[in-house]
Amino acid sequence: MQTAFRVALAAIALFCLMSACGKRQAPSTGTGATGAGTKLVIAVMPKLKGIDYFNAVERGAREAAQELGNIDLTYDGPTEGKVDQQIPFIESWTLQKVNVIAVACNDPDAISPALKRARDKGVHVITYDADANAEKSGREFFVNQATFEDIGRALVDEMAAQAGEEAKVAIVSSSPTAPNQNAWIAVMKRYMAEKYPKMQIITIQYPEEDQGRAFSMTQDILKTYPDVKGVFGISSVAFPGAADAVRQAGKRGQVAVVGLSTPKSMREFVKDGTVKTVILWNPVDLGYLTVYVAKAVAEGTLKPGATEFEAGRLGKVKVEGDQVLLGPPMKFTIQNIDQYDF
Amino acid sequence: MSVGVFLVLLLGYFGATPGFLRVENLRDILINAAPLIIAACGMTMVIVAGMIDISAGSALAVCAVVAGLTAKSGAALPFVVLLPILTGALIGAVNGWLVAAARIPAIIVTLGMMSVLRGGVIWWTRGEWIGNLPASFSAVGRGEVAGVPVPVLVATSVVLATALLLSRTPLGRHVYAVGGNPLAAARMGIPVGRVLWLVFVMHGALLGLSALVYASRFSVIQSNAGAGFELLTISAVVVGGVNIFGGQGTVWGSAIGGLLLQVISTGLIFRRVSEYWAPSVQGALVLLAVVADALRTRRAGR
Amino acid sequence: MKRLAVRREAVLVVLLLVEMVVMQALSPLFLTPDNLIEVVRQSAEIGLIALAMTLVIITAGIDLSVGSIVGLSVITMGMLWEDARLPLSVAVPLALFAGALMGGFNGALVTVVGIPPLIVTLATMAGFRGIALGMSQARSIRNFPEGFLWLGQGYVGGVPVQVWILAAAALLFHLALTRTAWGRALLSIGANEAATRLSGVPVNRVKIQVYVLSGFMSALAAVVYAAHVSVAKPDAGLGFELTAITAVVLGGTAVSGGEGGVLGTLIALLMVGFLRSGLTLARVPAEAQDMMVGLLLILVVAVDRWSRRSGRE
Repeated sequence: MQTAFRVALAAIALFCLMSACGKRQAPSTGTGATGAGTKLVIAVMPKLKGIDYFNAVERGAREAAQELGNIDLTYDGPTEGKVDQQIPFIESWTLQKVNVIAVACNDPDAISPALKRARDKGVHVITYDADANAEKSGREFFVNQATFEDIGRALVDEMAAQAGEEAKVAIVSSSPTAPNQNAWIAVMKRYMAEKYPKMQIITIQYPEEDQGRAFSMTQDILKTYPDVKGVFGISSVAFPGAADAVRQAGKRGQVAVVGLSTPKSMREFVKDGTVKTVILWNPVDLGYLTVYVAKAVAEGTLKPGATEFEAGRLGKVKVEGDQVLLGPPMKFTIQNIDQYDF
Repeated sequence: MSVGVFLVLLLGYFGATPGFLRVENLRDILINAAPLIIAACGMTMVIVAGMIDISAGSALAVCAVVAGLTAKSGAALPFVVLLPILTGALIGAVNGWLVAAARIPAIIVTLGMMSVLRGGVIWWTRGEWIGNLPASFSAVGRGEVAGVPVPVLVATSVVLATALLLSRTPLGRHVYAVGGNPLAAARMGIPVGRVLWLVFVMHGALLGLSALVYASRFSVIQSNAGAGFELLTISAVVVGGVNIFGGQGTVWGSAIGGLLLQVISTGLIFRRVSEYWAPSVQGALVLLAVVADALRTRRAGR
Repeated sequence: MKRLAVRREAVLVVLLLVEMVVMQALSPLFLTPDNLIEVVRQSAEIGLIALAMTLVIITAGIDLSVGSIVGLSVITMGMLWEDARLPLSVAVPLALFAGALMGGFNGALVTVVGIPPLIVTLATMAGFRGIALGMSQARSIRNFPEGFLWLGQGYVGGVPVQVWILAAAALLFHLALTRTAWGRALLSIGANEAATRLSGVPVNRVKIQVYVLSGFMSALAAVVYAAHVSVAKPDAGLGFELTAITAVVLGGTAVSGGEGGVLGTLIALLMVGFLRSGLTLARVPAEAQDMMVGLLLILVVAVDRWSRRSGRE
């Protein structure tokens, strides 16, 4: 019996430790949403934590929350980009009766039942970055940073300008099941066939979220296909990895590297000329706009049928149907890359 | 040494593609395999001692971040080299203490540590990647000494050192004894707990070194680096013919195992294998290597 | 021996209750039926896998390939339904059979060829996942009929369907392990394989059965998972193996084999689920939750070892 007592004692100590951590982490505005009273509670979820891109989104979200005042912002999500780890957060936030949930979905269909349940319980739901199934989830708006179409075309146009319209190109993607990357690849293929029929994709490699593999795979591509003229790096991990490989192979200027990533992680390559253009929307602005939209949806000032939306320092942005558009993708070059710190 | 034969066969198969056997490609393969080989040497000691470590990937991320932050703080090169190694050794010391003193099975300790370290590194860095690294740091991973790339040099020295340690020193013999039969080892007067603890500390230090070599080759350090690295390392060791139950195996086998994994990964791209099928071909080749080894040792045992 | 097992489960229950009190103190929303049911629902797929994993580990084995079996079975089911145009009532049993086959492949390599389970399943983990990707060319299969989605999203008597499945499976596993000769054979194989062989138990056959069961349960989890998230993807189940193993060892099953039980596994599963849920409600960030799950595992096992050692003295 004595041992059972000791075990229980140890358990209590352990959980007290945890609750101490919990208390330290909890926002000063009170525990849970129920006590928030007049404050508008907005919960924002990234696809995953631990990457530069979503850190920038979080920064923009916090900036907007501060600016608007009277907002209790929760920002959390899984540490791996898995949809089954996103669902428990949605369920928990629904239970807390937050006012708005804004989520970047890892899978459009998988997340929808959980979002629907939230809607049924009176929680407002919007999506950003990657949409849910609009019909099945009942989400009210999608804050769209740039359409797949815009991004795919911008990438291909940029490659044609740098490597020529008849270039043989390779793509370094993320995981073979990554939905955004696959959607971009589909647009790129179609658009190439339309506009640059002589451009040819010779291989697509999937290094998952591993910079080392993106690096060595690009090295191998350069050697296996000596006539390759351009490499697309279409994830924030693949792009720096591919650029590193091209630079270390001494092919700067001979092989164009075009892709999507944050300016911060690409600055070095842009400065030394390995990469001429980084394409991306502004993730800080995306987070900022998301929180503005969340507030407007909760207060009923943004309704279906609107065509314009006023979002603080971003001015007026366009609304098309149930999508709020951040605007066309940005291009970061040696001229402007130093102006951005994300 | 069936893994060696296997490596030669694969080199022959992939070598038929143009450019594969060129010196620069072989050199790249060696450089890319270096972090894996260094970690596999440490893992060999752990597995020979009858233990396992599945927190290696998370520990790699922690050490890589430590290396990057130290380099960025402007510290002198010796510190930049030493600090990640010490961090790794410290992690190993904690793992080793839990295994040796608290007597918790290694697989449980390191399964727990895997989440603790992975969560901890994201908490600590808040997920920020580390860029703008000084040139002196890159020199570690991209430099050359007398025409030999530094990662290859480091990996070769580590293989030699650990091989000597395991085969020529009392500590090495103790490691085999502890892994082969811990009870008998204790009866012979070997301080089993201390040997296990030392093995984990050395393995941790080598992971730190591996992280340094890995991180210093790139311009940005991912705070979520090393996912799945533990399984890759264990695969290298196992393909290298080390007995998973401890007591048998050599560092040479593991080093060739690590090299083999990199050769397969590069070779499949040269062979233009469909990128969707490449992972299963990789899995099948690993399985083939292990089955061949199992059949061979079973026949030898009879 | 038996008393020891009972006591360990009692200790786990005490731990669970303490945890629930602490979580309730952190957030008043924790102890609501909605939340508790939701937590159990989120844990159901891992639970199904962890039940079979308990048996595998009791025989001193391990199965790292379960997550990949989930991926390959789910894509098998999806492709049979969408490409081969078979009704789901045929595709689902075929997927379960495929899962059992994969488990049988593991089992055969472990017993007939004699390769240690850790190595076999490490290799098939890569292999099965690769086949799932190659077969499907990395696409996902969607738009399953409502009737199928009921398996993962429906309720019977206010309780989610998959929780009923998990409860029924747990009961079967518990009875099989504690009340049958087969269950005793598992424990005895884990404790001393050579002696069990000498006593006339067909060790190889029993071990193959255990791996087949592990494959089958992974495929069952895959079907439930597909119904739960409405999509069949080749990367489904990534990382499930470690979560399942965590539940098993946290539940007191010895990694060296020979002792343990499915009740402990279930309690441990709830402990991890409640911990994450309570901490999310208290707005503790996800990375801190990961750390705490890791610490919980190490501490509970450490305390267990320590109390047993001092109990023996």
